[in-house]
Amino acid sequence: MVFQILAFLLLIYGGYLSIHIGTSIPTFACPYNQECPGTCYLISVQHQAHNTWASLFGFRGKAFLISLLSFVLLFIVINKAWCGYVCPLGTIQDWITKLRNRMGISFSRYDDLSFKRLKAIKYVLLVLLLFIPLGMSNSIFGLPLFSHDLGAPFCQICPGRVITPLFIGDTSQLFIDFTNTTTMIMSSLGIIVLAMFLIGSFFKKRFFCFFCPMSALHYLFSRFSMLRLIKNGDNCTKCGNCYRVCDVGIKAIAEDIEHSYMVKDDCMMCFKCIEACPENDCLKVSFLTMPVFKSTEEGFFSRNLHLNSEMQKPSKTIIEDE
Amino acid sequence: MNKNENKRYERLSAKSKGQLIIESENVLQEMQQKFENTIPGMEYFYDVAKQYAGGQLKNPERKKYIATNCIQVPIELIYAANALPIRICSGAYSMSQAGAGLLPAKSCSLVNATLGTIYTNSFPLAQKPLTIITPTTCDQKKKLSEIPSGIDIPFYTLEMPPSKDSEEAQEYWYRSVKKLKGELERITGNRITRSKLKKAIIKVAQAQRAFRHFHQLRKEEAVIRGTDAILIANTFFYDNIDTWTSHLVSLNAELEMRKSRDHNGSESRYPRILLTGSPSIFPNLKLPIMIEKMGGSIVADEFCSSNRLLYDTVAVDEWNMYDMVPALSDRYLKACTCPCFTPNNDRERKILAYIKDFKVDGVVYQSFSGCQLYELESLRISAVLEKENVPMLYVETDYSPDDKGQLATRTEAFIESIKNNL
Repeated sequence: MVFQILAFLLLIYGGYLSIHIGTSIPTFACPYNQECPGTCYLISVQHQAHNTWASLFGFRGKAFLISLLSFVLLFIVINKAWCGYVCPLGTIQDWITKLRNRMGISFSRYDDLSFKRLKAIKYVLLVLLLFIPLGMSNSIFGLPLFSHDLGAPFCQICPGRVITPLFIGDTSQLFIDFTNTTTMIMSSLGIIVLAMFLIGSFFKKRFFCFFCPMSALHYLFSRFSMLRLIKNGDNCTKCGNCYRVCDVGIKAIAEDIEHSYMVKDDCMMCFKCIEACPENDCLKVSFLTMPVFKSTEEGFFSRNLHLNSEMQKPSKTIIEDE
Repeated sequence: MNKNENKRYERLSAKSKGQLIIESENVLQEMQQKFENTIPGMEYFYDVAKQYAGGQLKNPERKKYIATNCIQVPIELIYAANALPIRICSGAYSMSQAGAGLLPAKSCSLVNATLGTIYTNSFPLAQKPLTIITPTTCDQKKKLSEIPSGIDIPFYTLEMPPSKDSEEAQEYWYRSVKKLKGELERITGNRITRSKLKKAIIKVAQAQRAFRHFHQLRKEEAVIRGTDAILIANTFFYDNIDTWTSHLVSLNAELEMRKSRDHNGSESRYPRILLTGSPSIFPNLKLPIMIEKMGGSIVADEFCSSNRLLYDTVAVDEWNMYDMVPALSDRYLKACTCPCFTPNNDRERKILAYIKDFKVDGVVYQSFSGCQLYELESLRISAVLEKENVPMLYVETDYSPDDKGQLATRTEAFIESIKNNL
């Protein structure tokens, strides 16, 4: 929680302190926000993909690989905990969820099937955000070259572009660009997605994360990470507590008793599941092979129900009675 | 009812109540006297059981009470409606005789006894319950409300899905629970508010925490007799929940002390038994008492009347009504290992886990004659246990004392055979 706010402050206001953390950061540290300390990897990857095939397989390709490598390296260390603890858009969504909770308004539920379809969108976006910049320099499948106004296409529709500058009081991204049809369509799409982001995350926890191509990109490297969410199926009673509290509705965490690696594509490693698990050693986070945080019975009662331990101490009167 | 019938009814009712008291006294005496080394902390639980048999449960605040016919009724909702849940599933032979006349011949003892309790008005409290909630778990129980017997207490049928894993089943159950909430508000005349329900969930969680601690204490050593453990769980519904919890907490502390004191490394090893199947409810502790008399030590049970009763927890993400009610309904469905669900692989997984955690040497499977679900599942469980090389004794019995001799021979042989292989 505290870490999340610090990360938020760093990634939004870091520029004031002249912090610069590079261009391969897997985040919505958004360069459209002028005080941002780094650059979202998605924008780099889109720029780097905006090259002809020839140069991609040459010198430029190396640059592409190097930035990909540094991106992956970060991932090997922290895995998707990025999403749960660092990403500023995630933090904003958590605040919106808190607000809804305070207001006593219910979150919405989806049935499994439509939820599954919804979640596939992020992979489509990921493919598009690589494909469109490539198509600006190369003719793909004989299509004419795409307009340069489509540069960094995902950024144009990403809510981070509009929202993060707002936190430094910059409203310059909140507009529709009427230069030509392409810019008009893309910038209106951007505003529509922003509206969906705000409304969606009000009714559904971490709504935007289901569509986030960054999340999809992370997941491709998740298996190799040192930080892992592990389940011991033998200790699981399938009570479903973990699934109940999961902000992104991962069913497998409750129902899968065969596999041990539990980071799924939507998982943001917030570890609420571990807090909600009442079985000793059923769920745990491990870094390399060291357990960092484990589920325990006592932990369940004190963390989830805030039971005071007084009640669990034998009262003197009763003992004296006997 | 005409005058004659009325007289006969009164006689039956009085006779059954009297027999229940005698029957319960006998069982309690057997538990307290025939075994040496009783634990002082057990006194309270024996007392509550005695009050239950005499129909003299305490209700100082004169709260309205709701009779529950199965542990799948979300009691947190009843507490939140400012009423008391009292489970009326009965283990009394006298009651099963009183109910048997109203039901088909092959009905199970537990169902007979429960109907007998309702019919003869032998509730553990002086007043009658506002309503009797029957979940559609057991086929025989759910039909009780339709038996023409002149019972004037309204039944409420709580609809349960026949499966628990599918999304559809979970949704169905969630809506059932939500409906029950409205119904309870109507019956009791008390609104279930957010803060009341939260308080109720936490109150039950306190009991669960103590119960889970008790459960853990039994893992390493047989710190308490299984018969006593069953009785403790049985009494959960029979006293103020906070009082019950604080007594269990004290008992846990006592057991903790015994554990460190008694551990001398040279103790003779008793065969460690796991009991499962149709639930043993006080005063029908025939089989557990028999096993322990024959030198077995019941280290764990997989009964809905004891270990399953308080084990599963409620996890609420947002403490608002919209999340508390689904959290409650999940607690009563998802981890439940009642044989009324198909598929029910979780039950065999649980039994295997208990065998491992409690270092069980043998399993005794109790089926009441007529209890088809447990009879059917015994086939599968025995196949699984055979594969794991764990001996299992299948016992078909009922509430009558007639088969005690035969039971004694069989349990003794079973326990001896385990001893030989220890």
